Amino acid sequence: MSEQEPLAWALSRAGELHAALATEAASHEESERLGVVLSAVKRFGRSLDAFAIDREARLPREALREAAHMGLFALTIPERHGGLGLSLKGACRAVDALARHERGIAITVGLHNGLGTQGLCFFGSEAQRQRYLPELASGERIASFAATEPGAGSDLLAITTTARQTEGGYLVSGEKSYVTNGGFAGLYTLLVRTPHLGRAAQSLMCIEAGAPGLAVGAEEDKLGIRGSSTVSLHLDDVYVPAGQVLGEPGRGSEYAHALLAWGRTLMSGGCIGIAHAAVDAAASHVRARKQFGKHLSQQPLVQQHLADMAARVYAMEALVRLTGAAQQGRAGIDLLSAFAKVFCSEGAFDVSDQCLQLHGALGFLEPTGVARLLRDCRITRIFEGANDVLLVRTAASLLAGVAASAGAPLSPQVAPELAGTARAFDELVDRLDARTAQLRKQHGVALVRKQALLAALARARVSLTAALASLLRGTGETGQEARSLAEHAACGLLADATAQLHILEGEEHAARQERARGIAEQLCQEAPR
Amino acid sequence: MISPEERRLRTIAVMAEILEIDASAIAGDQRLREDLGMDSLGSLELLSTISEELRLDLEMERAMEIRTVDDACAFVEQHYAEQHARAGVGV
Repeated sequence: MSEQEPLAWALSRAGELHAALATEAASHEESERLGVVLSAVKRFGRSLDAFAIDREARLPREALREAAHMGLFALTIPERHGGLGLSLKGACRAVDALARHERGIAITVGLHNGLGTQGLCFFGSEAQRQRYLPELASGERIASFAATEPGAGSDLLAITTTARQTEGGYLVSGEKSYVTNGGFAGLYTLLVRTPHLGRAAQSLMCIEAGAPGLAVGAEEDKLGIRGSSTVSLHLDDVYVPAGQVLGEPGRGSEYAHALLAWGRTLMSGGCIGIAHAAVDAAASHVRARKQFGKHLSQQPLVQQHLADMAARVYAMEALVRLTGAAQQGRAGIDLLSAFAKVFCSEGAFDVSDQCLQLHGALGFLEPTGVARLLRDCRITRIFEGANDVLLVRTAASLLAGVAASAGAPLSPQVAPELAGTARAFDELVDRLDARTAQLRKQHGVALVRKQALLAALARARVSLTAALASLLRGTGETGQEARSLAEHAACGLLADATAQLHILEGEEHAARQERARGIAEQLCQEAPR
Repeated sequence: MISPEERRLRTIAVMAEILEIDASAIAGDQRLREDLGMDSLGSLELLSTISEELRLDLEMERAMEIRTVDDACAFVEQHYAEQHARAGVGV
């Protein structure tokens, strides 16, 4: 099903989204199950020695066993296969809770419950699900997903790992890199070429750990999330029975996109957890620290920073809940999940960076744990789709195919205290739609080459969608604090969208791009070989 | 003035250059994504290059509906006919 433009989709359902964005769970029934999970995660998280995990770059096996015992590997697996059957929205909250304590385990659990197992849940046969899902739910097998290769990162159509037909199945050869959970997984879902179905046809296949011809590389030495497993896989004629192909052979690329939409949303949940931890650490520090005879918390600029950080987290949560609501409503989430991924990964970094700044020199020292927040979140702007690539691609999709209608105005659909900001939102949406139409008419398909414009277009849409989500959430929640955060978040985001509109409405972008091309060419020519 | 057949050959030549394969390996019924490994962004970039080469204004609308090599050639031909009709030039 083709996806409606996110703003238009949300505006057409604003009335029903107030309540959905005000809650962490997808339903009242789920909220009880989620409550149990969150209590367990809190106890578990406090038991982890995050410093030791980071220093030794290893999750203790006891921690993985405890996580399995608590059902953390069962979050998104259907109940009839031994799982907890949480929605995407509920699972995001669970990953958020884990990430507040330790990101290695959050990545492990998040990858398993997203990319690792959802291929089976969405596209697997009943026999495949019955064979593997119970073991995956219990944690007896941990799941991994392998798509990236040395020559194929953002460009997954460029993978070279190939499955050749043989009697009863396939022989798979190639190399996969940066495979999360790869060092201890019991089941790998791989994206491979199946050229007998088309020069660029791809398929998803499940390979069990220990399969003859499958070699697991050494753990990578990483800047952050050091407790998580990241390895390469080498496949040398690994036999895969035909019954291990997921769904229809040849549709792997399409399936991978659907899985990545889940994976990006769950990753965004982890980013929220990092940002929460950063806000908490910053608030504790500025409350206690005194300089120039005052607590830092009494300084207006510090108050501004703290409020901006909290508002950013509020908006990140709102946008992820909006994505969860869309998924539950059976709407496509390809675009929304990309929006959430870009917004939340950048938000986690900005908030962590500001937290470190507020700590002063103390923030730069490892023992405070603040530096680790920054190190752990840095990868999120890169994996599951590098942010620049996502921005350019979503803009191209929006320009070329997805309906860009703004829909009904927002201002009549929010709480009275937020109506003024919502009117400013409505004006910006109209302005963006008008300028988008002008650029399409002016440049036609040549617009796809103007990446700075595409990125500005996408960033404007991301900011406006997050502002919309914040205002709807603020309308659905009760209490002055919620309304205040919603207003603060939306105002900041409208300012961001205005800055992107300034780029789109200006005429100097062509000269700027040409100048940039000249500077970059010179630099690359002179760079050391 | 170039003929429709020449426009088709030039469209396919651009595809071959982008894909780094021989033009003779490209058939009309091949799917851009599954057979030639060209995703939606790649298709738009292909059309952008063709628009420069053939000096055509190609619209974004309907560009995402292009699925096969034949679809791409028909899209180019349709725009060529429309543009030259507006200019009062025979196709």
